[in-house]
Amino acid sequence: MSDNFDVVIIGGGPGGYVAAIRAAQLGLTVACVEMRGTLGGTCLNVGCIPSKALLHASELFDEANHGMGQFGITTGKVTIDITKLMTSKEETVKSLTDGVAYLLKKNKVDYIEGRGTIAAQGSVKVALSDGGERMLSARNIVIATGSEVASLPGIKIDEKQILSSTGALSLKKVPKHLVVIGGGVIGLELGSVWQRLGAEVTVVEFMDRITPEMDGEVSKTFARILKKQGFTFKLKSKVTGVKKTKTSLSVAVEPAAAGGDAEQIKCDAVLVAVGRKPYTQGLGLKEAGVKMTDRGQVEIDDHFQTNVKGIYAIGDVVRGAMLAHKAEDEGAAVAEIIAGFAGHVNYDAIPGVIYTMPEVASVGKTEEALKAAGTAYNAGKFPFTANSRAKANRQTDGFVKILSCAVSDKILGAHIIGADAGNMIAELTLAVEKGLTAEDIAYTCHAHPTETEAVREAAMATDDRAIHM
Amino acid sequence: MKCKILVIGAGPGGYVAAIRAGQLGLDTIIVEGDRAGGTCLIRGCIPSKALIHAADKFEQMSAHSEKGHLGIKLAAKPELDFAETIAWKDGIVDRLNGGVEALLKKAKVKQIKGWAKFKDAKTCDVETSDGIVTITAEHVILANGSKATELPFLPFGGDILSSAEALSLTEVPEKLVVVGAGYIGLELGIAYRKLGSDVTFIEADEKILSTYDKELTAPVQQWLKKHDVAVHLGARASGWQDNALSYTDKDGKEQTIAADKLLVTVGRQPNIDGWGLENMAVDMANGFIKIDKYCHTSMKNVWAIGDVTGEPMLAHRASAQGELVAEIIAGKKREFNPQAIAAVCFTDPEIIAVGKSADEVKADGIETIVGKFPLMANGRALTMEAADGFVRITARADNHVILGIHAVGPHVSELSGEFALALEMGARLEDIAGTIHVHPTVTEAFAEAALAALGHAIHI
Repeated sequence: MSDNFDVVIIGGGPGGYVAAIRAAQLGLTVACVEMRGTLGGTCLNVGCIPSKALLHASELFDEANHGMGQFGITTGKVTIDITKLMTSKEETVKSLTDGVAYLLKKNKVDYIEGRGTIAAQGSVKVALSDGGERMLSARNIVIATGSEVASLPGIKIDEKQILSSTGALSLKKVPKHLVVIGGGVIGLELGSVWQRLGAEVTVVEFMDRITPEMDGEVSKTFARILKKQGFTFKLKSKVTGVKKTKTSLSVAVEPAAAGGDAEQIKCDAVLVAVGRKPYTQGLGLKEAGVKMTDRGQVEIDDHFQTNVKGIYAIGDVVRGAMLAHKAEDEGAAVAEIIAGFAGHVNYDAIPGVIYTMPEVASVGKTEEALKAAGTAYNAGKFPFTANSRAKANRQTDGFVKILSCAVSDKILGAHIIGADAGNMIAELTLAVEKGLTAEDIAYTCHAHPTETEAVREAAMATDDRAIHM
Repeated sequence: MKCKILVIGAGPGGYVAAIRAGQLGLDTIIVEGDRAGGTCLIRGCIPSKALIHAADKFEQMSAHSEKGHLGIKLAAKPELDFAETIAWKDGIVDRLNGGVEALLKKAKVKQIKGWAKFKDAKTCDVETSDGIVTITAEHVILANGSKATELPFLPFGGDILSSAEALSLTEVPEKLVVVGAGYIGLELGIAYRKLGSDVTFIEADEKILSTYDKELTAPVQQWLKKHDVAVHLGARASGWQDNALSYTDKDGKEQTIAADKLLVTVGRQPNIDGWGLENMAVDMANGFIKIDKYCHTSMKNVWAIGDVTGEPMLAHRASAQGELVAEIIAGKKREFNPQAIAAVCFTDPEIIAVGKSADEVKADGIETIVGKFPLMANGRALTMEAADGFVRITARADNHVILGIHAVGPHVSELSGEFALALEMGARLEDIAGTIHVHPTVTEAFAEAALAALGHAIHI
């Protein structure tokens, strides 16, 4: 077993393992150091994948409970066995993390279980999970350590009553009342899971709207749909503390602006979903002289290299959106750069999806951003109520909105609320990535009856020529 | 009555042509004897998708009640009130039909209800409830559509159904035999299987969905097998008597099979008879109305679109042609030259085909590379229990320009938009591989298939 590698990657999440596989494909010798015990990182273990498994099952449960009558289907009483649900979730997670281990093996990547620390430029010390230590010499080091849950001052996550996303993915029973701190992606997805399974859900958000970074019109419609599903929102509010008693919790909520009356919300579980922060502790960055940003991220140049030659960083630990697919793309790019090719990530065409029902997806600029930049644009919108496939699937909530340049017709941004928005955003991402125009979409024959026809109609609507509205 | 544009038939070709013409300020009349919406909205795509969706849900609920799947448990077996299912489906059709009529009105298109009969290329009589109306137009757009092909020895009526009647049954047939395992037969047959029918297919060809390659149809075949649906290939139906179908099996033996209903889905043919086409002096080609790349017929200012002009008989092709003709008449420069028209089978699992497969271009001497990515290796598909299938890309070996994209899998139909755009823009494998696809979505399988063709997929 050699201890000399072309590349040593610290972290086996979507950024790290993709970098490892790509580097190996390019003929480099690679080690991937991971301390979790399983590969796949936050995403596969305690993030995207388990949450999607719970979202899928809770959606089916909700449908069985409420959604069948109209089709002429009677279901009687529907119950959910949380233990069984969690087991099936864990099976899905395991098959995927095992899959990543297989991929590393297939690509001859040395998967080293343990905690990696940069000992010096060109060397990584691993405290092995099985005990003992291993020194690796690395011509290149890639930091892909990801992120961890952020909390609020004075609120201590115990994962029993006061939960992070990790705890909220493994509850043993459905809480009666769940208070979610933070109206972003994670809070709304996990809030949806437990709301569908029977919890009353209150979301406390500091800003004046949920998902504040999203297109305003989308976020407004989204809030209305979630309210209809039973969500309660407390906007422009902040949580100042959570008091624990033996059986319940009391959440102190105050207006975000100074002054105003505080109130206490009683509940039996709190989910802290106020964001994530880069995971950099114990990495030896300071000792190695790696520069950090004032937000605690590893500082990199346009080629993912830190100020120390041969040390690179990608994913949640660096600037930019904390998204698995952004990390994966950076992983592939950094591997290509290290191998001597021109790896590249286009940060203007990174889509994002929220997996609620309906889903919310977007790519490129929001209407607010275009206004602020003084860009002249056309907006085209098409509602799913006018799409026949959505009608046949009884999924008519939402719309497709396309923003195109008023001068060149180039697509600048696209936003979708809809049952299958996550898949539908791919076409518009391709359009943004390739600089296509709204007319290009309008002149592409879209299959009938599919929900993708709404994408085409929205493109036509930018020119006031939609057919079906 | 006189007008600039006369559209015959208010299906997805005709009504779209009329709305677009109206938007462009052209004085337009549309004539339709049935309800607006055509085969597609009234007795085709839409009602079938509604029925398929309901059937899907019923099957899902049954899985919960039997296995307590995913921890979801039903106290009793789900029950189906099929009359209510059909009423729900009818409600959707009514709303969409009303929607089309409202859209035509909004576009200031005059709607005349009745069947048109042409006296010459620009003049027709329409028998309406208020008597005969004669219309003369500067331009005529023929969008008469198609009808289910009838076998002379299995005439529609009684227990012998075309796809239209199969969408309006009052109860789920206990035993359903389907003649013809093309996409229409399979979509409906699978839906009825999910609703509880015992279903058998009789197919003259050696395989189901004969226009698709075996790799693509294999998952559907497996579904049929798993759900105890018998498929008799190489079998020729010959007659129907006392609720039993007689057929000759692949070994030449005479067989009979009893059924409550017999669904015959052996194809569709253009509506070219009985409305005076012979008086219009337009040329025909292989039984269809012959058109050029502008959808223009051999008669000046007579245009034809949709199923009446040939294959592929797909609503979105008709709509695209309809829009195009309206724009040409309005003076815009257009021609009908799509790189690809996506075809979708709403079977279980679904199939999409856009462009050409490696086999189809072999004859042209084009060397290809193919990349395939299984949904089993896609995280989102696994979390949705929808991992049965794959995405496959075929590209030119020399310059990596994509020639065809095929996929099979649950819900893959919604991937078709990106596939069509990729072909239409002339994308190369690198364009798809270099576009960030959201994790976790099924669309990642498309990027991975492109990477696989390039020889460096990440997740396989």
